[in-house]
Amino acid sequence: MCVGLSAKVIGIDNGMAIIDASGAKREISAELIKDLEPGDYVMVHAGIAIAKITDNDEDETDEIMESL
Amino acid sequence: MKTACIENKKMSAKEIIESYKGKPLRIMEVCGTHTHEIFRLGIRNILPDTIKLISGPGCPVCVTPVGFIDESLMLALEHRAVICTFGDLLRVPGSKMSLADSRQKGASIKMVYSPVDALSYAKEHPDKEIVFLSVGFETTTPASCLAVKKAKADGIKNFSLLVANKTMPEAYKILKNSADAFLYPGHVDAIAGTSVCESLVKEGVSGVVTGFTANELLTALAVAIKLSEKGKPFFKNCYPRVVKSEGNIPAQELVNETMESCDSEWRGLGKIKKSGLKLRADYKDFDARTRFNLPKIPGKSNPACRCGDILQGKCKPTECGLFGKICNPQHPVGACMVSNEGACSAYYQYGGNL
Amino acid sequence: MEKNITLAHGAGGKQTSMLIDEVFKTHFSNPLLTADDAAILQIDSGKIAFSTDGFIVSPFEFPGGNIGKLSICGTVNDLACMGAKPLYLTCAFVIEEGFPLTILEKIASSMEKTAKETGVKIVAGDTKVAGKGQIDNIFITTSGVGQLAEGISLSGSKACVGDAVIVTGDIGRHGCSILLSREDFGIETSIKSDCAPLWGAVEKMLEVTKTLHVIRDATRGGVGTVLYEIANQSNVGICLDSKEIPVSGEVAGVCGMLGLEPLYLACEGRLVVFAPMDEAEQIVKTLRQLPYSKEAAVIGEVTSEMPGRVVMKTEIGAKTLLPEPGGELLPRIC
Ligand code: SF4
Repeated sequence: MCVGLSAKVIGIDNGMAIIDASGAKREISAELIKDLEPGDYVMVHAGIAIAKITDNDEDETDEIMESL
Repeated sequence: MKTACIENKKMSAKEIIESYKGKPLRIMEVCGTHTHEIFRLGIRNILPDTIKLISGPGCPVCVTPVGFIDESLMLALEHRAVICTFGDLLRVPGSKMSLADSRQKGASIKMVYSPVDALSYAKEHPDKEIVFLSVGFETTTPASCLAVKKAKADGIKNFSLLVANKTMPEAYKILKNSADAFLYPGHVDAIAGTSVCESLVKEGVSGVVTGFTANELLTALAVAIKLSEKGKPFFKNCYPRVVKSEGNIPAQELVNETMESCDSEWRGLGKIKKSGLKLRADYKDFDARTRFNLPKIPGKSNPACRCGDILQGKCKPTECGLFGKICNPQHPVGACMVSNEGACSAYYQYGGNL
Repeated sequence: MEKNITLAHGAGGKQTSMLIDEVFKTHFSNPLLTADDAAILQIDSGKIAFSTDGFIVSPFEFPGGNIGKLSICGTVNDLACMGAKPLYLTCAFVIEEGFPLTILEKIASSMEKTAKETGVKIVAGDTKVAGKGQIDNIFITTSGVGQLAEGISLSGSKACVGDAVIVTGDIGRHGCSILLSREDFGIETSIKSDCAPLWGAVEKMLEVTKTLHVIRDATRGGVGTVLYEIANQSNVGICLDSKEIPVSGEVAGVCGMLGLEPLYLACEGRLVVFAPMDEAEQIVKTLRQLPYSKEAAVIGEVTSEMPGRVVMKTEIGAKTLLPEPGGELLPRIC
């Protein structure tokens, strides 16, 4: 239902963030995430950062599998 | 070193899935993007016979009723509004034609990446009426709300939304007997949080919040299998790097400020109480239905189309008489064939025998 | 001379000759291009390849090229795919009234440059002017003749089980650059179209092997479409290894944002080559030394399973069908 893109924040200005997804850059709204800083990773959907995230899915799935 | 251990773990999630021999399990991926990724990665092809994956209704294009397309066409053709839309909606058949078809009749249809871009377009073209087709679930709704809030703050007069946004909680309840466990849509929960899904456990509904990478999908499936074996209803968030239990609070507040709950028509599932959103009275100037005084349009879908049963996991696309013959991705009859992630389209593209 | 194209430029009188003299002759001049009704060409004995292609592209200028460069590369590459050395081209322009002359100059100059690079001569041409609004800026049609090397016979129906599938570079740049310049999705990249003349690459491949089976340029519909065409024409299955498919980071990023599959994005400077597996390494090594094929790679092989279909080995080691491409590429969000 929702294609998400995980991307790195490389700039913040006045509620907007510039994100970088392996070289493709776009300005998106950062208004729905508090305290975003350059260097953070976000999940982007329809031009909006919807969550601040950690970039590495593997560490996380490792942990979940451990806990089983 | 690192790679070796990733391989190990990947194998183990995959192995759990491949080697499952317990009682038959029906697992529904609610989200269309999951459906898409599951096909793209070939996950269905590694499942044992004991596991059946069902594609649920989580594709906003698939559940958007014919009448909505007819309303957009009326705005484009009779009111000469510029329609801004996500690319997904372009080929969805209305009663007579799709938005893509309407271009030949002079309609002005513009694809956008974000509702906020539609607003910018409105600002740049004050002489034109711009209508954004606001569809989507919890994940997508905040973007529409942000656009409309900015439009109001900036006093923009030529921008409005045609709203058909939907919310998942009531749909889960309707679907609850269609599957033994759900792969919950990670990006919906990134906004909405996990409380609804957690509380469904009390009603006997099980599920895991699922991400979108190969690792995440395999892991969530393996977890769903393992927890199912314990025999009790369960919930687990398998996507905590993105999904927090409280969700995205500023986004929830924004939606609440601009929109309110209403009953909503789902293509295939019919009317579901409190499963949709509409703009609040404060924002009625930005509601395309009020602004253009649109009549109620019922919209006629092809009666032979079985999208509804398919969305509920009651039949497979291949059991629809139109599948592949009259209905294919170039000439979709029902919405399930339009969107790449629609169940019929996915079956068609990846081989009906899968 | 006026700064814009007028209907008079296409009327055949003085204005037309001026346009021809000042724009086309300056850029295309060679002894074979005369004021006569047809070019007289010397063709050596043997077989010739003959092809034609029409070009409309919106926008007509894009990062990495313009419609002029595209129109030369398109026909040159079609000839090259048959193993024919491109010799002569003709080009016909349909130009919209009001089209700026400076831009026409620029387009002609790109054509000149690309033709020179390939060693092909433009030997005849035609210009028509269409009324304002009748066409979208400028259309170009090129036709070309190439000399087939002795003993070469390439065809989309010659793919054999056991062949390697090679692509001559990272895919999808052209489609991506056009999409981003046409629609304003607000995405910034440095992606340039891969538009390039590829006779050089074919010539070098023919020097190292005589057993090429198929060469095809992956234009509209991208590599995915070409693979389906060949799987059908040769009635074989194709199995791709997803991790071997070269895609630049930026193209992957754009595809991630817009929900697109790079295999369906158009290329204008990429060939798909089928040759016996034991020749593949040598071919790829040769290609990688050339300017337009540094990222050449073996991306899969021809199999006897599922004739007519393209199967993908995915990152989890499972196999899945590559969906058959079709229709307009629509970015998706949901
Ligand atoms: S195959 Fe077409 S007509 Fe049949 S259910 Fe699917 S979308 Fe509807």
